[in-house]
Amino acid sequence: MTLLAAASDLLAREGLYLDERRWDDWLALYCEDCTFWAPSWLDEEVQSNDPERQISLFYFSSRAGLEDRVWRIRSGQAPSLVPIPRTTHLIANPVLDDCATGDAMVVRSAWTCHIYTLRNRTQHVFFGRYEHHLVRLGGDWRIQHKKITLMNDFVPAMLDVFCV
Amino acid sequence: MRFRDAAHYVRDDPDRGVFRVHRDLFSDEALFELELQHIFEGGWVYVCAEFQVARPNDFYCTKVGRRSVIVSRDEGGKLHCFYNTCRHRGATICHVERGNKKYHVCDYHGWTYDSSGRNFDIKDRKEGAYPDSFDDCDHDLIPVAKFEGYAGLLFVSLKADVASLEDYLGDARTFIDLAMKQGPDGMEFVPGRTNYTFNGNWKLQIDNGMDAYHLTSTHRSFVNTINRREAGQSSNQQANSQNIPSRFALESGMFNFENGHAVIWSDQPDLEKLPLFGAIDEVRARVGKIRAKWMLRGCNLTIFPNLQIADSTSLILRTILPLAVDRTEMTMYSMAPVGEALELRTRRIRQHEDFFNITGMATPDDTVIYEDCQNGLSVGADDWLQCFERGMAALKPGADAHARELGLSPVASMSGRYAVQNEVCYHSAYREWVRRLSGIAA
Repeated sequence: MTLLAAASDLLAREGLYLDERRWDDWLALYCEDCTFWAPSWLDEEVQSNDPERQISLFYFSSRAGLEDRVWRIRSGQAPSLVPIPRTTHLIANPVLDDCATGDAMVVRSAWTCHIYTLRNRTQHVFFGRYEHHLVRLGGDWRIQHKKITLMNDFVPAMLDVFCV
Repeated sequence: MRFRDAAHYVRDDPDRGVFRVHRDLFSDEALFELELQHIFEGGWVYVCAEFQVARPNDFYCTKVGRRSVIVSRDEGGKLHCFYNTCRHRGATICHVERGNKKYHVCDYHGWTYDSSGRNFDIKDRKEGAYPDSFDDCDHDLIPVAKFEGYAGLLFVSLKADVASLEDYLGDARTFIDLAMKQGPDGMEFVPGRTNYTFNGNWKLQIDNGMDAYHLTSTHRSFVNTINRREAGQSSNQQANSQNIPSRFALESGMFNFENGHAVIWSDQPDLEKLPLFGAIDEVRARVGKIRAKWMLRGCNLTIFPNLQIADSTSLILRTILPLAVDRTEMTMYSMAPVGEALELRTRRIRQHEDFFNITGMATPDDTVIYEDCQNGLSVGADDWLQCFERGMAALKPGADAHARELGLSPVASMSGRYAVQNEVCYHSAYREWVRRLSGIAA
């Protein structure tokens, strides 16, 4: 498999696992010391670029942050997640950075996430761009760093980790 | 339903232990129209913080009720607020939330205004064969009726005949001070706000912003996430958020102020988790022991009708913008002392994201519940809500010992353990609602 094919496969699997709520499979795509980051917009043009000094939509400095969110989704204790909104991710246009090697690569892509909220029968589409930093661990590609740019950050009522 | 006297909608009789609000307040479109006219466009409304327009020519665009306004600092440093509309054809002058501009040029016919709102240029004026009378016209941007600030927060009234801002805020000013004076060099918003909507009435947010009673049900998943972290079942330690149920045995209370304002307060279980605690020696030396104690307390303040400052799991400032009887837009900022040490700042940010972000583990559960409430409140039952009497048996007219400690004269006080989870804090807003909508011919 070419590097681009391997990257595309991982991106598609991430969308699949989220949409099928295979949360453990989703978490297993991430390195334990990963970072998961969705910057906020500072104004019409500029995104936040420093999670230590600026608010992010999501910033987790390890997989434990994602694990907390998965626990919450599964808990049945969060009104915004009962029933869990249905999602479909479409991930397209993957482009590898020039520095890609057999051990590490950066892939940029475009995404949309369609969300159907059963509680009030409304639907919404979030969309944006991904930047995945992938590393090969024991033969498998894993996510070391994921940056999510959310283009439409005017949020109707809720937005969880599986909605982007 | 046809509008009757405003007092018809609120049964306010504390001597008999009764405070009830009619469901129509949340679902009647005619009442909502009256709220826009007489509350949001008929009195003081928060617009922005002074530090958002700190430099000459800085501007910030927002809405007062339905009316778009620009707050602008002129070249000389003076602040102005005018309607965001060109004098020529009425086009919107400013299309971005904030920025720095010496001149605002209308996109349509190019009329230009300076940062004080003065008309600087009417395009091709000389060639325009204008009559002499045109020169007698005022061509400047239209200023709002009233524009004043308190402790770095700026407020507008679109109606001229109102009390001064200081009189309107009254004793609630003390709690604005407790938030706005935490830093020796002032306060700032942490860059990166969140902006969201919910399909529910704006007063659902007014009440929820001071609602201690919902925490262990609506936010059960947050509470249990913190419990899991403290028990070592989660290794996510980046936020180190407060444990809410630990508050239940601690001292707490509330004050009803005049003009719709109210605050709930409580001791915090884990002072060392608070970013402010890391700078507490400086704070004590500057504001004294009593105010420093209050700054470390959890305080959720509502300044009627559109501003809430909550200092609970993190310090936030949020604004409430009603869009329709069943739709509301929110803007939320994390607020922090200028010059805060990086380690404290980063913890503050993680705590904010953990709980308050619209992508966090608490706020989305509130907004979704507001939508549930709106659906329920729209069934049209002729009934009065029962969410105003919790804590009433402990309610005292005037000041209690806690109010006296701060030199306050509230309308009423209530104190006791946090487990009371009082709902009497909501009385202020509905009394003000009656006051503002009384005597209106509908």
